[in-house]
Parts: sequence; C-alpha cells; structure tokens
Amino acid sequence: MAAGAEVHCGSTGPLGFPDLPPCDRIMPLMGAAIASTTLKVGLEIHVELATRTKMWTRVPNVAHPDFYDLPPNSAIDPVVAALPGALPVMNREAVELSIMVGLALGCTIAPRSKWDRKNYYYPDLPKGYQISQYDEPLCYDGSLRIPGVAGPKDIGIIRAHLEEDTGKLGHELPGGGRFDGSLVDLNRAGVPLLEIVTQPDFDDAEDVVTFARELRKICRALGVTEGIMQRGHMRFEPNVNVIIETGDGHRYATPVVEVKNLNSFRAVRGAIDHERQRQVDAWRKDGMVMGPGMKSTRGWDDVRGITVLQREKEDAHDYRYFPDPDLVPVEVDADWLDRIRVRIPELPLARAHRYEHDWGLPRKDALALTDEQALCGFFERAVDALVERSNRAINEGAAARALSKLILNAGAKRANERGIGVESLGISEGQLADIVLLRDADRIGSSAADELFGLLCGTDEPAESVAGRAGLLQVRDEGAVEAWVEAAIAAQPQAAQDFASGKDAAIGRLVGAAMKESGGRADATDLRDRFIARLRT
Amino acid sequence: MPEPLPADVIRHVARLARLRLDPADVERYRADLSAVLDFVSRLEEIDVGGVEPYAHPLDLSNRFGEDIPEASMPIEDLLRNAPRVEDRFISVPKVLAEEGSA
Repeated sequence: MAAGAEVHCGSTGPLGFPDLPPCDRIMPLMGAAIASTTLKVGLEIHVELATRTKMWTRVPNVAHPDFYDLPPNSAIDPVVAALPGALPVMNREAVELSIMVGLALGCTIAPRSKWDRKNYYYPDLPKGYQISQYDEPLCYDGSLRIPGVAGPKDIGIIRAHLEEDTGKLGHELPGGGRFDGSLVDLNRAGVPLLEIVTQPDFDDAEDVVTFARELRKICRALGVTEGIMQRGHMRFEPNVNVIIETGDGHRYATPVVEVKNLNSFRAVRGAIDHERQRQVDAWRKDGMVMGPGMKSTRGWDDVRGITVLQREKEDAHDYRYFPDPDLVPVEVDADWLDRIRVRIPELPLARAHRYEHDWGLPRKDALALTDEQALCGFFERAVDALVERSNRAINEGAAARALSKLILNAGAKRANERGIGVESLGISEGQLADIVLLRDADRIGSSAADELFGLLCGTDEPAESVAGRAGLLQVRDEGAVEAWVEAAIAAQPQAAQDFASGKDAAIGRLVGAAMKESGGRADATDLRDRFIARLRT
Repeated sequence: MPEPLPADVIRHVARLARLRLDPADVERYRADLSAVLDFVSRLEEIDVGGVEPYAHPLDLSNRFGEDIPEASMPIEDLLRNAPRVEDRFISVPKVLAEEGSA
C-alpha cells in the first residue's frame, strides 16, 4: 500500500447507501503512532410532514397540530390497518411540501419519480412493507451552506425522498401501568415522512448540530412541520467514521456506525463525539477498517451519554425493493413547479443576512430575530410602521436597529417568562414603533421604555396616553426638575462634594438620586447638565 | 433441469416470508423453486435494449387525493381483527425497539 493512500473499502453508491466492493481487513502496523484523526459524518434526517391527512389516505395526520393528541388507534382506516383490498392514494400536499424542502435545499426536482415497496415484517408495519422511493427520489443533488466552525461550509444533499412513518410500539398502558409485551398504536402509521440524506461532508460534530438546527428552521419557515423534537417531528441518524492517519503516512478509515433515532440536538452532538473517541480506541485494539459487512447500528443512551450496539433486526437489509403496483408515478412539470416555488418564503439565513447587511444589525441579533418566522413578520411590520409614523425621518436601518433592541431586550424578557413569542405578548407593531418615537424625542427614558413595553402588553391604547397616565413622560418643567436636583444634592452630600472637587464619577450617584426623586420622569442628559452647571461653575 | 438452489437460500427466503418450513420439505422446494425461476427466466431471452423501463402498466401519473380529513374507522373494527387486545392497543409479543422501525 502506498503511503498516503486511504484504506477505504467502501464508496457511496448512487442511493447514498454504502456500496462496498470487497476488501480485506487491514491490520495497522502495531505501534504506529496516530498523527491525526479526521471525523467524517453524513446525516440522515426524517421529517414528519404536517399535512392534515396521512400519506396514502385521508384520515387525520397526528403530525398536524390539530391532531397531536388523539387517543391511541383513533387515526385509522382500512388503508392504515392494511385491511384486504385497501388501496393507497397519494397526498398532493405531502408531495408539494417535500418539493418545497427540496427547492430550499437547492435540489433538482425529479420530473418523474415512482414508489417502491421496502419489505420487512415488524408489528408496527401492518402492510409488511413500507412505501418509499428507492432509485427515483423526488429531490436530489442539493446543498445547504452553513456557518461552520471553520467558516462557511457547503453540505451536499444526496437526496430527499418521500415515504411513510410506521406505527408506534409501547410498553406502557394509559395511566402508566407497565405491560409485559408490546402495544401497537397505529396513529403514526402512514404519516408522510420526508427522508433527507446528506453527503458525508461533516468533519465536526458542531457543524452537524448547526446544520440540523438550520434545517429545522427552514422546515418551520416553510410550514412543513412545527419541528417539535420531543414529539419526534424530526429524527436524526448520523453515519460516523474516523479517518486515522499514522506517523508513517498511512490512512485508515474506521467502520461506519449509524446511530439511530436521535431526537435532540444534544443527543446528536453527544453521539458523534462519543463515536469519534470510541472508534479510535477500537481501532487501536482491533485494527478493523471499513469494509463489506462492517457497518453497524448503534443507539444513544441519553442517561449514560454513550452509544450502544443495537441488535439488528433479523435480515434487516434484505428489503427486496420493488415498484409498488398500487401507485402511479409522480410527474412534476414546469407549471406545477412554478406554483410550488411561489409558496416558498424568504428563508431564515437569507433573512438574517439581509438584516445584517442592509440594516446593520449585529449578526447575533439578526440570527435571534430570524429564529422564528412569526417574529420576523412582527419585526418587519414594526419597522414599516416606525418608518411611516416618523414621516420617513427614521430610515429602515435605524428603525430596525432600535426595534430589534426593544424586541430582544424588553420583549424577549417578557416572552421568555410567559413561554410565548414576542409577537404574542399583546403589544402591537404600531405601539412598538411609538415607544421608539417617544424615546427618540427624549420624551421617555430608557428604563421608562422598558416599563412602557410591559404596560402596553394586552391593551390597544396609544403608547403616549399609557405613558402619560403612568407618569413615564419626562418632565420639562423648570421648577420641578430644579427641585429634583436640589433634593438629590441634599440626599447625597458626599457625592456632591466629591463631584464639586473634581471626581467625575460621583455624578452617577447624583443623577441616580435625582432620577429616583422624579420617578423616572427626568431626562438623564438634562440632569447631568444641571449638576455640572450647579457644582462645577 | 437447472441446478437446484442451495438449501440455505430456500431457508433464507422462507424466513423472510415468515414461513415455517419442515426440514424434509427443503429438498422439494429446492427443485420446485428452481423450476419456477427457470420458467420466469425465459423473459431474459427478450431483447429490451433501448426500451424505457416502466414501473406501472397504466399510462397514468399524478392521481392525488386532496388534503382534507375524513372520518376514521371505529376502533372496534380494528381491534375486532386483532388476535389480542389490551386497552386501546393491539397486543403483540414483546419486541426490542420501542421507537418503531422506520
């Protein structure tokens, strides 16, 4: 073997599944020191589509918010239960949602794709086969750019195909009693499931998590799913191995491990980190490298923070795919594709980029605002309102910067307390704009702005009248302001003396005291000027 | 007669189909299944070069249902067909993966 050649018996076949030519196991030269290790990860993602009905029949889909909590075995019909003679009918909306995701990921949409049966026996699969797409996926050849740890990184998308979810097997009875056996609930059987497969382009667990989060944001922005991880709306399966380079220039690829069914970002990161370490340790012991029959499946133990070998389902990989004769192909022409394209909104990363570059928002704020589609809409309508109400005296960028601060401070604080979005706090875009206008005209101070935000939640009243009634408007009355300054000097004689004798920092205590006297209605800059005039001249 | 299929292939196919096969029958199926395959393999004599493969005999595509919910079947109709029932569930022998197989 030539130095520098990679010991790698597998290649990725056209389907994204390892397609391995024969090769021998190659034992490393024992004692050869490891010079470097490079992680290599590809990701498979299952997304449950939130259509109203199931993939092949029109009973309610439990992945749609209207039907999340149906009692067990109530979203069923002869198609779901695979009763004799039942025939599947494709869900048009599921196909359209899948194409939207495909387009958002830069995929080519197949002009024609078909359905195949993946045959296996399992109690959660009444038909004895899953309808999927084998060699003609609906979407293929895309990529998604993510902000990687080492800079922007393009992650290749091999394919995104549509299939159906299985039922659920449980061991717990309603009310919590354990049951010694498996309990079949067919509510999830036949839920439209989009499987997305990436190229093995990741070399860092953090980038995998970034990708997974970004994909979730995209799916939510497209309205394809609410992406509630605990409900299994998105499940992640990383394929992990490590390229080990030894000091003598040889490279060894460890056998690929697929970690099944991860449904939190923490688990994705944990499983990959653990595999990286475990595979290098295993290679040191046994020298096994990637080759035919070497791929294994592991599960994630969330409590112990490790992956554990899973017993394979018997004959799991002998699926005997063949075209499903009950379904006709899907043909997507240019007209249909155009109509679907119109449904795609501006996507989160593009939006964040616009906020950052056109409006001058800090990157962190731009990303925080674009996390939720509903918040973006609220924010942008507030920007429009502010520009309009200022008679264009405030431009879009300035409006956006002021409003984003208000939303991410005063708004986010209250939204987090209540566990809802800022847009649902009951304050309108116009009221938000008015807070900025009052602040801009120096009619309220910054702490008053925060308080006013709180008071406006749940009322339709104009910001100014609420501020006036709550005594938040700054007072310009000469006599009143002078009285607060006098009172502050009386209350803080030491500070007054310090400031008068040249200690600049002491003014803070004086302004604070005067502000307290005023109940927050004074203007801090005005107070500052008055103390300087009184004590320094 | 063609070369009969190996016995372990017969046993593997039977297992995939969840068929219990009497060991004594394996020899018979080796001959029978081989004869069936041999008969079907006559199709290989046809020259299909340049013929587009098709997955469906009908010249149809895009037969969709609209995404409008309809009533579910009564749960009694489902459970009536189940060999064993527990509460609202179909009860089966214990299997390993709790999460499902997809």
